[in-house]
Amino acid sequence: MIAVQNLVKTFHDKARGSRHVVDDVSFEVREREIFGLLGPNGAGKTTTLRLIATLLKPDSGTAVINGFDINREPEKVRSQLGFLSGDMGLYGRLSPREILTFYGRLFGMGEAEIGRRSEELIERFAMKEFAGVRTDKLSTGMKQKTAIARTMLHNPPVLILDEPTSGLDVPTARTIEESILEFRKAGKTVLFSTHVMEEAEYLCDRIAVIHEGKIKITGTMDELRAATGRHRLREIFLDLLGLPVLTEN
Amino acid sequence: MRLHYVLTVFRKEMLDMLRDRRTMISMVAMPVLVIPVILFFMGKLVGRAEERSQQEARRLGIAAQVSNPQIRAALEGLDLPLRTGLNPREAIERKEAAAGVVESALPDGRPRVELLTDRSNPTSAVTGEKIRTALTKLRESQVREGLKSANVPVTVLEPFALQQTNVASAKKMAGNLWGSMLGYMLLLLMFTGGMYPVIDMTAGEKERKTIEAFLASPVHRLEIVIGKILTATVAILVTAALTLASVTFSIRSENFSRTPEMKAMMQTIPLDGQNLALIALTLLPLAILAASMMIAIALFARSFKEGQSYLTPLAFLVIFPALMGGLPGLELSLVTALVPILNASQLIRGILLGEWTVPVFAMTLGANVVYAAIATVVATRTFNKESVLFRS
Ligand SMILES: Nc1ncnc2c1ncn2[C@@H]1O[C@H](COP(=O)(O)OP(=O)(O)O)[C@@H](O)[C@H]1O
Ligand SMILES: [Mg+2]
Repeated sequence: MIAVQNLVKTFHDKARGSRHVVDDVSFEVREREIFGLLGPNGAGKTTTLRLIATLLKPDSGTAVINGFDINREPEKVRSQLGFLSGDMGLYGRLSPREILTFYGRLFGMGEAEIGRRSEELIERFAMKEFAGVRTDKLSTGMKQKTAIARTMLHNPPVLILDEPTSGLDVPTARTIEESILEFRKAGKTVLFSTHVMEEAEYLCDRIAVIHEGKIKITGTMDELRAATGRHRLREIFLDLLGLPVLTEN
Repeated sequence: MRLHYVLTVFRKEMLDMLRDRRTMISMVAMPVLVIPVILFFMGKLVGRAEERSQQEARRLGIAAQVSNPQIRAALEGLDLPLRTGLNPREAIERKEAAAGVVESALPDGRPRVELLTDRSNPTSAVTGEKIRTALTKLRESQVREGLKSANVPVTVLEPFALQQTNVASAKKMAGNLWGSMLGYMLLLLMFTGGMYPVIDMTAGEKERKTIEAFLASPVHRLEIVIGKILTATVAILVTAALTLASVTFSIRSENFSRTPEMKAMMQTIPLDGQNLALIALTLLPLAILAASMMIAIALFARSFKEGQSYLTPLAFLVIFPALMGGLPGLELSLVTALVPILNASQLIRGILLGEWTVPVFAMTLGANVVYAAIATVVATRTFNKESVLFRS
């Protein structure tokens, strides 16, 4: 469903000069799979996801999403995607219903379809009482629901979630984790990034560990265990980063 | 570019803008409330200062050392108290007298009158002017009498008549006065009025992190930026229209004119339908230029605050050409018509004076259309730069 092939992205800045922030990254996400991109802060997760979502252009390499190439048909690629980041990115002065309408139009949906689909999602996420309230007046949980509804509105086959639970408390993060599992049930492909071990271990069918722009390993939990001889993801992760594992004695 | 996506973006940005209190203050409150208040207090202040200076003159009076009865009578005719027994020079310095008159004698016995004033003090200067007029009149009437008694015809005194006539119509006088102010006010407020909405939909969108999901939708970046430019242009034109309406209302209103002459002049300010249409046409490309320019600059900012610090200097940059264009000295020409902002300010003055010509109007409009087009291209290019949009 998603085939990432040798992606390279270089950033230039005065302080650190030119750096390969994404360095020859390749991996594949199969249909109806939850795939986790696991890495510490600054590993290049956001940049990789932005390249796939065509927000940034790669220096070289490509990715093919549901048959569309990010370099050749970026608009088609975007129409296949639902994109959500931990910041949610909701317009504070608009209500959830207005945000859904706006995004429906951006995705080329007809007015009748937008109305029908919005009401369906408002019903499903129990958003009725606040669907007409400015989002900057809503609680984090309500905002989270709004953001998820916006991401799913156009029923995209692929969801790209950039640290969707960052900054959330456990109950609110759970809403997101539930949605991720539901996405898979609904037949969608999910690619999400995280730096939280438990989340990756709990949710993912397969995991890729990224560090300093490079993919260190890709596979199921069992495959990662077999390859590293470690049992827990935390230990596997620290090993791959070349850091000592804390032991008790 | 697909128009209906541009309009989708435009509609959303307009809705967002109309709900932003900061924007509404800079766009609506400034022209609708601040301009009339400023004009009102300016009028009041000028009137008040005149009144106060008259009162002060009446209280202080004239320190007079005068013995000639005719001169004394002339001074008394001024209806100001005459004070004797003061040293005029010291009295004026100590603000105990508005002006002083000291009479002495010339070697041939004629009186010599010295008029003392403090030119740095408006009350003293005005009182001195009144005294001078009264004494000049007295001298003229004495000359007239002297000629009469010597049987010399009065025509000796006035071999020819001199009359000064101001050929400028009242309309033109008003145009001159307001022409130098209106363009300046309009142009400055257009920039300040557009500032907040522009920052909100560029740097604000980056700061609140709404831009990522927006860009991840299938809509093209060109459609997004054109929708934003359109919104900013509307904001700027609304500010201009409100400013124009506010100024028109203020100068027509009774409260702003102290004297009947001033009121009559105000009524003649040529803001009729045709002139308003010409001004609107002048401002249209300028609004697009301002919108695109501000968007291109504010896009570099990562936060609302940073955006403000980028755009505030721009507003100051606009002040100079806008003011210069309103000055009477600079002639409206095909060359000055090429200088943005200045050309519009000059043209607005020209329109109010009825002095504009079709070539200059066309040149100004054409030049500003070209600048607006360039700025639009720059803004769309900037919006396509990932190093700008995702600057960290
Ligand atoms: N627009 C940019 N310009 C320069 N450097 C950037 C930019 N965006 C990210 N970086 C740098 O690239 C590296 C990877 O960033 P990112 O992809 O955000 O990592 P992650 O999401 O894994 O924390 C970091 O060192 C970050 O500072
Ligand atoms: Mg990140």
